[in-house]
Amino acid sequence: MRRRSIWRLVATLLVFALVAAACGEDTGGDTTTTDGGGDPTTTASPDTTMADMTTTTGAQPVDVCEATVGFMGPITGPVAFIGEVQLNWFNYALDTWNEEMGYDFQMVEGDNQFDTAQSATLAQQFLDDSAMLAAVGPAGSDQVDAAGAVYEAGDPNFTFISPSSTRSGIAAQYTGMFRTVPTDDDQGPTTADFLIAQGAQNVFMVDDQSSYSTGLADSVEENLTAADVTVTRESVSQDVTDFSALVGTIADDTDFVYLPWQVAANGQIFANQMAEQSKEAVIFGSDGMDSEDFTEAGSFIAAFAPDIAFVEGSESLLDGYLEQYESTNTFGPPVYAAARVIFEAIDSVCQTGATPDRASVQAEVANTDQADSILGSPISFTEDGDLAEGRFFIFQIEEDGSKTLVE
Amino acid sequence: MEFFLQQTVNGLTLGSVYALIALGYSMVYGVLKFLNFAHGEVYMFGAFAGYGVLTVLGGPSALIVPVWLAITLMFVAAMAVASGIGVALERFAYRPLRKASRLAPLISAIGASFFLQAAALLLFTANSRSYDAPSLIPIESGLTLGPINVWLVRILVIVTAFVLMILLTWWVKSSRVGKAVRAVSFDTEAAAMMGVDVDRVIVATFLIGSALAGVGGVMVGLVFGRIFHLMGFIAGLKAFTAAVVGGIGSIPGAMLGGLLIGFAEAYTTSYISSTFQNLIVFGLLIVFLLVRPSGFLGRPELAKV
Amino acid sequence: MSHIGVDRWVEESGDRQEHHTGWTAPARRLFDKVRPGWRLAIFIALVSIYPLLVSQAGVRIGITVLVLAMLALGLNIVVGWAGLLDLGYVAFYGFGAYFYAVVSSDQLPAHWPTWVSIPVVVAATALLGALLSLPSRRLVGDYLAIMTLFFAQVFVEIVRNYSRLPGVETDITGGPNGITGVDPLSLFGFQFNTFSRNFYLLVALLALLIVSLHHINDSRTGRAWRALREDTLAAEHMTTPVNRLKMLAFAVGAAIAGLSGAIFAAVQVGVFPNNFLLVFLITVYAALILGGLGSIPGAIIGAIAVAFTPEILRSPGAAGWLFYIGVLALLLVVLKQRARLAAVIAGVVAFGYVFRMVALGIWDETILGTANDTLTGGILDGWLLILGEHQDVVTNYAFVLVIVGVLGVIVTKGWWRVAIFVPTIYLAVFVWENKLALQPSVTRQLLFGGVLMVMMAVRPQGLLGTRRVEIT
Repeated sequence: MRRRSIWRLVATLLVFALVAAACGEDTGGDTTTTDGGGDPTTTASPDTTMADMTTTTGAQPVDVCEATVGFMGPITGPVAFIGEVQLNWFNYALDTWNEEMGYDFQMVEGDNQFDTAQSATLAQQFLDDSAMLAAVGPAGSDQVDAAGAVYEAGDPNFTFISPSSTRSGIAAQYTGMFRTVPTDDDQGPTTADFLIAQGAQNVFMVDDQSSYSTGLADSVEENLTAADVTVTRESVSQDVTDFSALVGTIADDTDFVYLPWQVAANGQIFANQMAEQSKEAVIFGSDGMDSEDFTEAGSFIAAFAPDIAFVEGSESLLDGYLEQYESTNTFGPPVYAAARVIFEAIDSVCQTGATPDRASVQAEVANTDQADSILGSPISFTEDGDLAEGRFFIFQIEEDGSKTLVE
Repeated sequence: MEFFLQQTVNGLTLGSVYALIALGYSMVYGVLKFLNFAHGEVYMFGAFAGYGVLTVLGGPSALIVPVWLAITLMFVAAMAVASGIGVALERFAYRPLRKASRLAPLISAIGASFFLQAAALLLFTANSRSYDAPSLIPIESGLTLGPINVWLVRILVIVTAFVLMILLTWWVKSSRVGKAVRAVSFDTEAAAMMGVDVDRVIVATFLIGSALAGVGGVMVGLVFGRIFHLMGFIAGLKAFTAAVVGGIGSIPGAMLGGLLIGFAEAYTTSYISSTFQNLIVFGLLIVFLLVRPSGFLGRPELAKV
Repeated sequence: MSHIGVDRWVEESGDRQEHHTGWTAPARRLFDKVRPGWRLAIFIALVSIYPLLVSQAGVRIGITVLVLAMLALGLNIVVGWAGLLDLGYVAFYGFGAYFYAVVSSDQLPAHWPTWVSIPVVVAATALLGALLSLPSRRLVGDYLAIMTLFFAQVFVEIVRNYSRLPGVETDITGGPNGITGVDPLSLFGFQFNTFSRNFYLLVALLALLIVSLHHINDSRTGRAWRALREDTLAAEHMTTPVNRLKMLAFAVGAAIAGLSGAIFAAVQVGVFPNNFLLVFLITVYAALILGGLGSIPGAIIGAIAVAFTPEILRSPGAAGWLFYIGVLALLLVVLKQRARLAAVIAGVVAFGYVFRMVALGIWDETILGTANDTLTGGILDGWLLILGEHQDVVTNYAFVLVIVGVLGVIVTKGWWRVAIFVPTIYLAVFVWENKLALQPSVTRQLLFGGVLMVMMAVRPQGLLGTRRVEIT
């Protein structure tokens, strides 16, 4: 008898819990202050050289400026290593901003697991949250399509800045979209020109069947064939971890192997297996390969935010970040840049004395004009929302793993 | 010729790893008629265990013990961790479901797979780790087989896999527990009536199958270098395929199936196309299953009336 | 390990279905009292109010739930009624979605009107299902499952790499970029271009589906499927057209999946290859199994649970509620004697204080922080040890210890169980507050996997299923 009553109690409690939780959901998700694994009390204090990096027009913090900003990314799931770093950099940007300005901006994190359906749901949740003014993310171009469709239909004034979607032409399709990375239209020709300048006659190219990779590979292939370079094009899916068979097919007279991959660690495996089979071609990796995971001496990397250690003034930022978080990769700094763009835009609106809303924030974002940034280049946007002056740097990896700027 | 040899070596390496993992699937299926979807995660944890030992011993560039000892310890640790998880899974997730419908343990296995992946994500974060084997054993070291050079690590992997498989075959044939395993997979009821402790046999099966998967994990780390929390899912699918091709429930079948899949992948990628590697392999399997549903060495299922 | 007495148990299964026992008994009896027609009416009424109570995002989630419910019902036909293990079901869903997208977008370009495209999509998918059922003549049970699994993989590969196939001129599937700009559904000029409209459309379709399935279940075909499921050989010998029935089951299941896929494509305004991976298939199966295989209301309840839970768990506050209530519930369930229950609770409280005192004594203040802002942070401050540094390493060990502790609790009995419970619960709360609550996304997956395992162990037949006996 007692057993049954306990079960009833349990069932009631569970129902109550679910109802309470669901009711909590109606306001569009709870907001959380950022803790992101770091200690709550002793946040990393930004270096005073931070002032060099930020381009706030020497503005003093306004008394009251509140905002909620969203972050959408693949925090868990197949590319969690991208999402984790992106989230960490976002939290870092938020913490340092709040500390610097004495504000208390809030964030909401949304994990889309690199999935388009979840991106659409999250986009709607962000829109429903009336306190949310803008968001960083999503990461992948197909998720931008899914979320963008929702944003466009729901509120074109909502700004969303993608820190890693590079497919050309997307930013033009969605009113509120901006991005802090250059597109394939920039990287493709830059890469091809470099290869041609290096005297390449025979290039072996492998894409990883992702949207990013195929777009980039197509672009480079086009440019190379136009210059009469022989291109052998292959592709593998991202879940392949053994490339020995593919490496075996690389002809001996190949000059360069171009790998526009998202997973740098796979690139290292490829490089190792090339060495095993005595293939002497030089690897050229795209920006996705710019990571500690890929350290093949002699290889080249095209990067838009090269190891930001090279960018003067970024070092302190990087150090501060690494103090709190374990490691970083190429996907991180653009998130920082994007977050700062949003924060500064919100601040600009506050400066005028008005309460920031989505439309005013978007207007300010569009007018962003930072002379200098963590990415080593100025940040301003074209009409479509692309970076006006995104450029790619080309690096070569040294024996000890460090990178030297080549171009 | 050189090309062919190279690809054969590639296929052999890949196939050995698949075979080791496939053995776990096959053995468990033979005994329980149940597909353990969480087997891939066991393999993944084995790989991480090996990595842990490597780090404790100083890392690939600054080992405090000789290389061969380090590798042995890595194998041992991987086997211990992997079989620990496997046995725990059996005891807590699958045993209560022995009498339930056929789908319940499948769902439980899937739940276990999710849980283990998330646990790995929590414990190890999303960054992939690298064994950095070239620092342990330089790429140049190895045997020269005619026109090609084979890295020592690959030889190690192939030899170890074969040794283990031979040991397993011997064990199943000669030892008491091994014979009990065969008996149980042939007819569980009859074996129980002949005094075999079925529970013990099942535990032994999981233990050995998982240990082999753990070894496979370390091998993958050594040869290919990259370990991450999702590696179990993909490898599990391929190894599962291998088990089926060889005849699920059959131990020599799993070994054969693993090698076949390894070769199929290597030759398909090199001679046909790498883009459709998976597609062709899966397509072949579909056709193969239609022709011979019970796999190469499997027993055709007799319909009992 | 006994099959002794099985016949008797099977005999009594009919009785068991009428006299419910167990803890869901009161709910089930009430459920049975209400006639199916009324049940459906109440369900529709409740569901129709839903969009009015929630935000737009809530409606979007509701659409996800309804699509999942339809899929679960379709899968129920194949797996629950006909007993065929189909692991490639997600490919039918994808096929329907892609087909609809191809004929309703600028991909080709083609913009077929809905009253043409939907019937064509459904028919084509049904045909595909029938085709896939052909191998089932030769393959039984697990081999069929394996074959269908491969088919699902093949589908995704083809869709993703279609344009690279030798001899292909036009890119039909859009490759990894998918197809965007898909037209919304429209009937007689009425466009289903908002979430609410699509929601109600799905409700209507679902209701229609439920009614049809109910009738099919009671019809000759339904009975034939049941016979097929229970004992294929016997059914064959009773002149049931086994092959045709298998084909029918596959075809109908596929048709439902195709329809769901088309609606999904219309709502998402696009389709991408990654929408149709194995993970999603697992979700559908989880919904079906948790709800109870073979039961229509079960499939729906399962879909609701499986689709809503991850969304609820997105917010750390909600997840916190669930966690603590879950822990309490666990205690209530496992410890039946009040004395032991009290002992555990007292022990945990005491343990916490002692632990904290000891830790503060050994290490100095700087490594400890204050409680963070989760729901219970305020209440537990001063009792729970919150780490300031070395969070990762310590919580990792603690996490492993918790798992070991939970396993230990399951294995032991009596006062040993109480003894192991105390540190386990404390460490669980410790890990929760110090790590899990800070990573809601990972915790979500952890809890989901755990719930699946526990549900199966505790109640393998699902919520509304009946315990089945496998007759071997």
